[in-house]
Amino acid sequence: MFRAQPMSRVTLYCLTSEAQDAALLLARHGLFGLAADKHESFPESPGDEYREIYLEAEARLAKIGELCGHLELPPIPPDVIAPNLRELKGINNRLRDLWQKCSACAEHGQKIEEDLRRLAVLRDTFERLKTLDVDVSRLLKADSLLDSRIGQVPKANVKRLKEALQLAGYMLTVFDQTGEQAFVVVAGPRSGGELGGVLSQAGWRELMIPLELQTHPEIASKYLERETARLQGAETQYCDLKVKSIGEQREWLGQARLLLALARPLAETALGGLRGKGQLVSVSGWVPRDEVPRLKLALADRFTSRYLITSRDPDPGERGQIPSFLKYPVWLRPFVPLVKSYGIPRYGEFDPSLLFALTYLLLFGAMFGDVGHGGVILILAALLYRKLGQVAWVGLAAGASSMGFGLLYGSIFGYEDLITPIWLSPLHDPIRILTVAILFGIGFIVFTLLANSWNKFTAGHAAEALFDSTGLAGLLFYLGAAAGLAGEAGLPAVAGLGTPAWSLALVGITTVAVFKWVETRASLGERALVTAIETLETGINLFANTLSFMRVAAFSLNHVALALAVFTIANGLGTTGHWLTLLLGNVVIIVLEGGIVAIQALRLMYYEGFSRFFSGDGTEFVPLKLVGVK
Amino acid sequence: MSAYLNTRVSLYAGRLWQAENFRALLKASEAEIPQVLVDGGLVQLAGLVPGNDLHSLEQSIIARLLDETLVLLRPLTGSARAFLLYWTERFEVTNLKTLLRGKMTGERPATLLNRLTPMGAFGRLEVQDLAHAEDVAELLRRLESGHYAGIVRQARQAFEDSHDPFLLDAALDRSYYEGLAHRARQLEKETGPALRRLTGPLIDRINLVWLLRYRFNYKLPPAQVYYLLVAAHYGLSSASLKELAALGSLEDVLAALPEGMKQRLADAATIPDVFARMEHAAAREADKVLRSNAPAIARAFAYLILRERQLRGVRAILRGRNLGLPGAMIEETVGQLAQDVH
Repeated sequence: MFRAQPMSRVTLYCLTSEAQDAALLLARHGLFGLAADKHESFPESPGDEYREIYLEAEARLAKIGELCGHLELPPIPPDVIAPNLRELKGINNRLRDLWQKCSACAEHGQKIEEDLRRLAVLRDTFERLKTLDVDVSRLLKADSLLDSRIGQVPKANVKRLKEALQLAGYMLTVFDQTGEQAFVVVAGPRSGGELGGVLSQAGWRELMIPLELQTHPEIASKYLERETARLQGAETQYCDLKVKSIGEQREWLGQARLLLALARPLAETALGGLRGKGQLVSVSGWVPRDEVPRLKLALADRFTSRYLITSRDPDPGERGQIPSFLKYPVWLRPFVPLVKSYGIPRYGEFDPSLLFALTYLLLFGAMFGDVGHGGVILILAALLYRKLGQVAWVGLAAGASSMGFGLLYGSIFGYEDLITPIWLSPLHDPIRILTVAILFGIGFIVFTLLANSWNKFTAGHAAEALFDSTGLAGLLFYLGAAAGLAGEAGLPAVAGLGTPAWSLALVGITTVAVFKWVETRASLGERALVTAIETLETGINLFANTLSFMRVAAFSLNHVALALAVFTIANGLGTTGHWLTLLLGNVVIIVLEGGIVAIQALRLMYYEGFSRFFSGDGTEFVPLKLVGVK
Repeated sequence: MSAYLNTRVSLYAGRLWQAENFRALLKASEAEIPQVLVDGGLVQLAGLVPGNDLHSLEQSIIARLLDETLVLLRPLTGSARAFLLYWTERFEVTNLKTLLRGKMTGERPATLLNRLTPMGAFGRLEVQDLAHAEDVAELLRRLESGHYAGIVRQARQAFEDSHDPFLLDAALDRSYYEGLAHRARQLEKETGPALRRLTGPLIDRINLVWLLRYRFNYKLPPAQVYYLLVAAHYGLSSASLKELAALGSLEDVLAALPEGMKQRLADAATIPDVFARMEHAAAREADKVLRSNAPAIARAFAYLILRERQLRGVRAILRGRNLGLPGAMIEETVGQLAQDVH
């Protein structure tokens, strides 16, 4: 719970023909995280083709899924094996054929839709053609001297097209406009200049005016009705065909979904560092040390003697690459995302999740101590449990903490006189509250310095752990100076310890200064400047951070003061106004002050705590998994 | 903010290569090339040479340009920001063309993806999905529902009618540069003539070179050539372009150009020569803008034009050397670059 699980570096060697099953086994094991390995004796990348085919098949299946609806992944039987490259190619080819059919189907459907739309436009256009006041059949006659066409182009292109056509001796006339389209007649001498593809470039769509439309309007109208009915029939037929063809394949598509899920581990492994040579492949990764025997057993059971597995502890040089596998008890998990939003603990680093959960709740309760307000938060979190999921637990715990401190402070919805405080009311003894907050801050900072020293030790930086400003030397200085200042302030617990305390501080700060001097690689002047500034900064930072904890006391006082303000306003109003103000005032306190306190507690944890000892630059352990598509 | 951008541009301008840098790269031995590049501030490219990975070189050059554009974009807002962002989309239009061509030749998705230029934060194309499209028709359908729908829509129709990849490319390029000219026009109203001094030569060069290529290399009819040019109102107006498109030879076209342009291209014999001269003139103009007290956005755009030209010059030299071309030939090819524009 306080650090990542110890990991082993594992390398598995097996036959190339069984690579897909080995990857599947690793995915079923569920605790094998891939690691890229530069294995010089295994120069080939045998999984690349497999991965490429897998990605192609996966993309095709997704596109088919878009057309025929979501394809559920059937339950994966325990003894099923992964497809080999040949089988995967077979699946991919079948998916390709099916998609081509679907695509042609979709294209056909789109074409019918377009034809229907154009037919509707044609109906309108035909009415408007009358405004041309010409005989359409003569206009479109193929053997005339005039090369004329009727069509539509985007309105934006009309001007440019008109100018271009002039170069070929053609003219363009707009006779109608609908939406972004203009309906035009283009005409020029049949023996005139060449048009080339200029009409296509301009987005020209010829208006196909059938012979039927070039006759009597009544016959034309009947033709249009007949065509509409035909296309609508074709549309229904198309829909039936689509439903039928996909329905026929649905069962196989489910199987394909399953087979691709089984192929995914090798496709992932190919990206993550599967290496090979001839008939052998190797794959390296990280496995929690306790899980290595289970993996070995599973491999022995599946591959008998056709494999070799090696495992070893990580080398010191590999520390930066080892992923952090973090396990938490259920009750702590809701707080983990708040820690992860700052960073992932590096392998071997102190994991602050438990510290975070306890301290965050303590700080929130201390700053927002009220039985009533805490109770409201608790009830709201309980009511919203289904919607918020795990996060609701943070709300429940924060509400409970707030209620606990409410009992200590004797405060219910801002009323200070309804119950006797178990400890004290902040407003009645603010100095004591401030002192306790600072003492808590000192304790917190001492802890962070110890945690940082531990982290530095485990990372192999003993000198920094001992002599740096955030190590034990810094701690000596801080404790000595804090005790010295407390003695000056007349704190009885440290009375008479002034001289030893200041001596301790002096030893600490001198050690820090010497360390800075030794560590700085620069010219003499720059070295002196860096040492002076960084040593001074050590003292200033530590005490500024300590004073920062005064906000805990300030917010507990602020809570009472805000409630008093609400009571003052309420008492100046009539009965309805009084209760209304109390209600609204309490809502404001819960929402506004509750929100501010939640953020302040988080800020104290991140800035005064984590920044001092938690690097947060680790990599989360992401094992190969059997389900889910990347 | 413009003070920040001006300072940033001035700092960047100091990194631009002078003629002697190009000469040093031309003359350096194989082993000295990385050091010359490092000395010239191109550390990222130094790691790639000597070697034959020209695609990585191209990608590194574009990555460098995108990184610098990202820095210049930071203080910009509104139409100035939109303009520079649109300028970077050229690289993605190239990716789009690569995807289309790859689909036409049935290239495998992995190979195709490998050939695309990574656009980083500027990427708008869902390249994974697009590379896995079955054919050009599906690819175009998908593109029409994305960021480049406007550019692609008409290109799709042109392609459906002709199935000619050249016309598809031409339609895409035209749509892109129409968009650039449109955005430049908006911005020119706010920034005055400085930006026009940059966009004018750029669009004029594109129009004239395209006109010559379409007309005399691809033998397209005048009407189609005119339609494929960018509608803009710089040195070459629509009326001039219409007249030029109707002419029958390169010499006739050059003789009919407006006076200033005619003098500049007086004895140009080939289309690449026309291109090189116009590009050189545009670079001189960009250099003047960069060193003037023009609005910050104009100076930033001038810098990007010069920087790209410079990096492409470096690429040309390295490519020439990798291909084992004689030094004199490389020198001739990049001769314009080695001439001091300052």
